[in-house]
Amino acid sequence: MTRADFLARLKKGLVGMPVASAAEILNDYEAHFDDGMAAGRSESDVASALGDPERLARELKAEAGVKRWRQEQTPSAAAGAVFAVLGLGAIDLIILLPILMGVIGTLFGCLIAVIALFVSGGAVMVAGPFSGFPGGGFAAFLGGLGLMALSVAFAALLAVVTKLLIDALVWFARLHYRLLKPALDPQSTTSNSGDPA
Amino acid sequence: MPETIEIQLKKGVLGLCVLALLARADSYAYEIASRLSDAIDMGEGTIYPLMRRMQSDGLVETYLVESTAGPSRKYYCLTDTGRTALEVQTAEWAHFTQAVDAVLAAPASETLASTPANLQTGDVQ
Repeated sequence: MTRADFLARLKKGLVGMPVASAAEILNDYEAHFDDGMAAGRSESDVASALGDPERLARELKAEAGVKRWRQEQTPSAAAGAVFAVLGLGAIDLIILLPILMGVIGTLFGCLIAVIALFVSGGAVMVAGPFSGFPGGGFAAFLGGLGLMALSVAFAALLAVVTKLLIDALVWFARLHYRLLKPALDPQSTTSNSGDPA
Repeated sequence: MPETIEIQLKKGVLGLCVLALLARADSYAYEIASRLSDAIDMGEGTIYPLMRRMQSDGLVETYLVESTAGPSRKYYCLTDTGRTALEVQTAEWAHFTQAVDAVLAAPASETLASTPANLQTGDVQ
């Protein structure tokens, strides 16, 4: 692999990252090639020691996604972090997907329930006083307001739970990702130096 | 999966080695990568994701140094958080290796009886 090949594959892998960060990363690897060649190594030698550019790009992207999720807790940052982390292949999707689908489904169901509660609370508050609500108009107003407040509380709780789940997923994936493996493979097949002494 | 354990070990230790190198002197990524790839055999490319991760965890900072030839070079230095992390992880590492050595060195009959129960605490990172 030549220097241009490596950088082109890395750049392709980094598509979707903020342009400034991607440029900074490419600069780092450019500098690495410069240093390596200044030290008298060949392009292909430096490139093969660096490892698989696609894998590196995936980890760099995941790292950027996690960083963004820490800085801003928005739905798009959450989605970015989760997908980037899943892209690492650190989590076994076949096993995780049914569980994840179940969790997402449950959360979505809760969200719909919370919205329905809020809307029905609003309806009771507005329409109750005019439709012969048992206990009188004022009770209907207060009851509706109570339901709305309850739904807001549930929504806040739901948001906290969702955030915790995403944090847990990201933490788990970071702990388990197997990035070093492909990068190590060429060395570990030629020299088996992993003796425990 | 024994190779997975080796990888997890190296991955954990890699961060510690980078902290230790930077505690001695500020350095740039190529130098760190070439020194560590000799010491523990790893792909040189992994140093960049690691450095970015350590940077976003607040363990290291970067600054640029003008170079006589070519573009300026990005140097990494430890932050106070990084220094603390180095101390904590060094202690954990020493504790962990002592525990493992004790198990390995013990005669076969004693191994089970004298296994330290706190192997888990040596978990780097």
